Amino acid sequence: MATLTRQDLNFGQVAADILCEFLEVAIHLILYVREIYPSGIFQKRKKYSVPVQMSCHPELNQYIQDTLHCVKPLIEKNEAEKVVVVIMDKEHHPVERFVFEISPPPLLSISSETLLSHVEQLLRAMILKISVCDAVLDNNPPGCTFTVLVHTREAATRNMEKVQVIKDFPWIVADEQDVHMEEAKLIPLKTMTSDILKMQLYVEERTQKT
Amino acid sequence: MSRDGWRKKASEDDGWGGRGGYMAAKISKLEEQFQKDAPREKQKDGMSSCIFSGVAIYVNGYTDPSADELRRLMMLHGGQFHLYYTRSKTTHIIATNLPNRKIQELKGEKVVRPEWITDSIKAGRQLSYVPYQLYTKQKGLNFTSVCARGKQDPSSSHEPSKPDLNHPESDSIKPQPSHTQTLSKEVLKSTHANHKANFTERSKHQGSQDTLLTNGYVHPVNGALKPQDSFAELQLHVVDTGSHQSHLPQTESRDREESSCSSAGSKANSHQRSLISTASPAKQPGLHNMQKDLHPKPTFKPGTSAAPQKGNLHDQKRVRLNGSYHMTPNSSTLADSSNQPGRSGQGAEAGIISEFFSHSRLHHISTWRNEFSEYVNSLQSRSRAAGGAVFSGKEKLKKLKANCSSGVRQSCILHVDMDCFFVSVGIRHRPDLKGKPVAVTSNRGPGRVAQRPGANPQLEFQYYQRKQNQYRKVPSNGVDLDLAALSMAEIASCSYEARQADVRNGMFFGRAKQLCPDLQSVPYDFQAYKEVALSMYETLASYTHNIEALSCDEALVDATKLLVELGVTPDDLARAIREDIKEKTGCSASVGMSSNILLARMATRKAKPNGQYFLRSEEVDDFIRDQPVSSLPGVGRSMSSKLTSLGVSTCGDLQQLSISRLQREFGPRTGQTLFRFCRGLDDRPVRSEKERKSVSAEMNYNIRFTQVEEAESFLTNLSMEVQKRMEGAGLRGRRITLKVMMRKPGAPVEPAKYGGHGICDNFARSVLLAQPTDSGQLIAAEAIKLFYAMKLDVKDMRGVGLQVQQLEGSYADPSGQGPSRGRSIKDLLLAKQPAHSPRKDPLAQGQSSVNRTEFFKSTFSSNQERVTPPSSPPSTSSDPMPGTSKGGLHHPHTPNHVRTYLNVSIEVPSPSQVDQSVLEALPVDIRKQVEQSWRHREEQPSTSSHLSTPPRTSSSLPPGPSLGTLVLQLPDQPGQPCTTGIILELPDFSQVDPEVFAALPRELQEELCSAYRNKGNAQAHAQAQGSAVEQKNPFPQLKQPAVGKLKRRYKKRNASPAKKGPSPLKKLFPGNSPAKSSPSKTLPLPLKHRLIHFKYIGCPSSPSIDVPETLSKLNPRPVPTLAGAYEFSDIRTLLREWVTTISEPMEEDILQVVKYCTELVEDKDLEKLYLVIKYMKRLMQQSSESVWSMAFDFVLDNVQVVVQQTYGSTLKIT
Repeated sequence: MATLTRQDLNFGQVAADILCEFLEVAIHLILYVREIYPSGIFQKRKKYSVPVQMSCHPELNQYIQDTLHCVKPLIEKNEAEKVVVVIMDKEHHPVERFVFEISPPPLLSISSETLLSHVEQLLRAMILKISVCDAVLDNNPPGCTFTVLVHTREAATRNMEKVQVIKDFPWIVADEQDVHMEEAKLIPLKTMTSDILKMQLYVEERTQKT
Repeated sequence: MSRDGWRKKASEDDGWGGRGGYMAAKISKLEEQFQKDAPREKQKDGMSSCIFSGVAIYVNGYTDPSADELRRLMMLHGGQFHLYYTRSKTTHIIATNLPNRKIQELKGEKVVRPEWITDSIKAGRQLSYVPYQLYTKQKGLNFTSVCARGKQDPSSSHEPSKPDLNHPESDSIKPQPSHTQTLSKEVLKSTHANHKANFTERSKHQGSQDTLLTNGYVHPVNGALKPQDSFAELQLHVVDTGSHQSHLPQTESRDREESSCSSAGSKANSHQRSLISTASPAKQPGLHNMQKDLHPKPTFKPGTSAAPQKGNLHDQKRVRLNGSYHMTPNSSTLADSSNQPGRSGQGAEAGIISEFFSHSRLHHISTWRNEFSEYVNSLQSRSRAAGGAVFSGKEKLKKLKANCSSGVRQSCILHVDMDCFFVSVGIRHRPDLKGKPVAVTSNRGPGRVAQRPGANPQLEFQYYQRKQNQYRKVPSNGVDLDLAALSMAEIASCSYEARQADVRNGMFFGRAKQLCPDLQSVPYDFQAYKEVALSMYETLASYTHNIEALSCDEALVDATKLLVELGVTPDDLARAIREDIKEKTGCSASVGMSSNILLARMATRKAKPNGQYFLRSEEVDDFIRDQPVSSLPGVGRSMSSKLTSLGVSTCGDLQQLSISRLQREFGPRTGQTLFRFCRGLDDRPVRSEKERKSVSAEMNYNIRFTQVEEAESFLTNLSMEVQKRMEGAGLRGRRITLKVMMRKPGAPVEPAKYGGHGICDNFARSVLLAQPTDSGQLIAAEAIKLFYAMKLDVKDMRGVGLQVQQLEGSYADPSGQGPSRGRSIKDLLLAKQPAHSPRKDPLAQGQSSVNRTEFFKSTFSSNQERVTPPSSPPSTSSDPMPGTSKGGLHHPHTPNHVRTYLNVSIEVPSPSQVDQSVLEALPVDIRKQVEQSWRHREEQPSTSSHLSTPPRTSSSLPPGPSLGTLVLQLPDQPGQPCTTGIILELPDFSQVDPEVFAALPRELQEELCSAYRNKGNAQAHAQAQGSAVEQKNPFPQLKQPAVGKLKRRYKKRNASPAKKGPSPLKKLFPGNSPAKSSPSKTLPLPLKHRLIHFKYIGCPSSPSIDVPETLSKLNPRPVPTLAGAYEFSDIRTLLREWVTTISEPMEEDILQVVKYCTELVEDKDLEKLYLVIKYMKRLMQQSSESVWSMAFDFVLDNVQVVVQQTYGSTLKIT
């Protein structure tokens, strides 16, 4: 980043890069913490100076990467409102939703390198919160799957159809049942406010999981 | 380019259709000729520019250069030349000489000398026309006239850096409400004109979309800001809804009050009175937001009324209202105020401070100094730009003094001081008063007034006399005066004749009248002061630009260079200057000259009156030895008394003291200064601009608090004033000092001077901040902390001052959109901006009131087998799912910003409270404004103070598909290009605030609707939206039963005599009142946009206006705060204090907490909300009082409702 001059620095892209990188780490970590996949496929890595778990299953990794690849343009244009990792039970009813709610930062600015380290600190805090979120959540029933939803703003989808980032990775409108959970409880995990983005993470949890 | 109205009209009429038609055709033809000729002329003459774009001149009478030449110049430099004067189109009249009749006729027009044009061309830019005005009458004290026409005069309104003496306050100071009124009307007019395709001058000149854009965007603002027509209705309406609102206690209390009041007084009075206490909290925010809103900076709502709303205070309040309390400037009525002169609920009325300062005579005059400094600066910069200025006076002198006797030159400073300025200006046109003892004062009677109850002037007089004796060691003259009946109006200035009779400036008029029975009083005449001061400065500037403005009537001139250049003696120069001033102003000036500032000033003393004195360096020693120490700068009463105790009375005595002794007595710096000064040594340079050491605002008139909240709110308002001033000066400071004047124990409660402070003790405390600030909010928080630390009885407060020291320049963007950090990214954003249509920048989008949300997913099953998605044709995928419109609810609560539009009324004291002579002395515009507001008040006695808490916006609607569909139907196709010009500028419908829309006048609504219809949308949506707004319930109402229950319980409990002190929440909250629980602290974004635009309406001809830029600089939502605290640890402390010190929570506090929590939800800071809730749960459920548990349940219920609405699920509280 340091080599870029200010002119080269597209604000939206920088924010989107940072955010997508974070989301990737976060999704891996959620999958690990919520035990969606056997812990055997995860490896310990270091990100934001803290240990994180990352899947080493190539297809899963590819899926996550593709997903985020498609999300990124939306984030760049500030068209994504929420990125939701939905964990569903065998019947494909959501039991947990990890909602990353992204809002424009209160102060738009990139002033210096220190800022990026500040962002990193905030992201680290969020990662740590995710890694301990099992303390506040009930256990999930066995056999869960996951899916990623993106809540877009306004007519972002139409543009998405026009410019498909990855040809064989289309997005579909989410089913109502994926989105809504009956008797959901909301557990805020972490809020961060930095100069380039404002994001909060909360979990919606179904009251009766089994 | 000139296909404007004239042409159209002419073609419509067949034939000439009378003179109008003929003239119109002729004028338009002439204009066409002009346009045609212009390029030719430009070609001919190599140099051309467009410095006069937007300027249309009309030459009246003989000028030099001639009218033809001026016409050519205007052609060359992008201006317009009108052969016939048209009031609406001609911006400047060029003349060198005008008969009186014409001057009368052209009142309010800009009549400018032709030099303006030539000089501007020389300077290469359009100079401010102000110094070139032909006659000084047009130099108003008021902003209004300039601004109303400002659109045609870029120089005066676009470049705040360029001082314009027509602006009594610099541009950065927020405009007075009245000004907005005028402005909005003006704009309305012009936009209407546009609709008739009768394009006004400016669009003709510019023709660019830029202008159109601004024009069009104005519409919603206009309507909203045009309060007068729809005012009454709307307010009534709002009040109706308001009574359903959350503040049940208030509503009820109002009822109670009303009933009690109606028995006590007239119906109208009671109504109004009740409004003071109940409705005012809702109204005040509106009003003050209005004021603040004009200010594009991120300000938080100034502390609103402190009208106490505590449930358990209602009874007390009521009594007071029936008694003497309601003398607030805003709401007092004639009948009552005359009976109750004693009280004024200062703290209860926010905005009184702005009001006070905007009408304060002293403040006016003191601001002039800065203006003149700026004036001098601008002269200098202009002369630099022009590559050397023309000094007419200097030239004249040069001619006169062809035979020079050049002597030894050393530095020479001239101190020019008008002789008893106010008096000589006041009697300028009254030769009958010349040579008589005259005093300028607001009192014009015989100097006797009836004594008011509670006052004890004798005691005060004795006190002052004692105090004086203590300082001066002068035995009391023992005159036992019948002080009780003497006028306490102070004498601002008195003539030398009066001074001979021992009348002094600052003396009370009554006393002066006794000393000098012939004393004549002259009213204030600010207009004239300004004129005279300006011509004095103009005169000085015609000699040199090395001028330091000291005040409106005195200046320092560094004549060293000038004298060398001219080779004249200082005496010659002084004589020339004095003659010039006398000739131009009719007032005499004295000039003191010497080698430095100190001596020059001392010489002036000797020169006075109407003389000049050159203190030669060889005479200095003798001269200064006899000067009293008090004549040294910096030696005031206390220091001179100290010096007297050291046996020092003259500078000669002082010279005897050693520097070490002085430094021991007075501190190192002061000691050294004294040491030097008493020897006539002074190395201060003549500086055209002085560095400011502190920024402060102080008010010690009419301070009568009855409750802590009033003081708090007053402090908040005062902080806002300080903020305003700091912003005006572009400074931030670290040290905040709170100065308080307290009634001296034993002093009479009511001082002899009405509203005065009487005998007081002064207290001051200060705090050093970690970082410099100019935020009024921060200052207020600190000031309130200081205030509590001082532990004072608010009832005895007589004066409050806030000072900010340790200043440094604020490098914030002058447009004030945020801290400096924002700047670095700005280029970046600007570069990015064009990709979006102007209204669609990401932030605006993020905050737009409608977020249509669509859900997309890609699925992935655990067995790593990609689920083939069902075929999804593009058309279906963009269809929103019914019931998924939750996004519509994500719109943050942005209630009550509309209110702010509605209230443009200014706060003025009731007529009976105003000193008539002062009023008369005020500039015409201000006076009109005041009178108008009285009239207005009389017309709408019942509504003028009505504005209740706003209904909240969509977030309070119950979630469900029905709402969803409504929201989704809203047309929000952004950035679709439109064919007609006007529609092009319409903001995206989703950005139109429905409440603003509802507040628009009907015609405008219809106009807008049709415009949107043209855009391909149906009006029905708008109406649906409008009605949706009406139906919306304020969120707390959802919990109405709960409130009611809680409240009843409280009422029972509160019947017990045990009275509790103010709760910590209240204590800490600046200007606390439950009205604040309406989340109106922040300025909602849409409003801000509009105001930014609104601000530019006055000057749309500026090419520099960049709409996307203004949008991109929009403000973030301010961080939600609870009682001023926003850090979680502070919140926790506050809550703990609240719960542990109070046995029963008060509803207002609970509502405050609920409001805070709601704001947290809106701010998307669920984490903090969660922590706060959990902390409260711990605290409150541990509390022994079950009422706390109930309070928590209440808070939690409310918060859950909000969270449910926003997120569709509730918080998990374990």
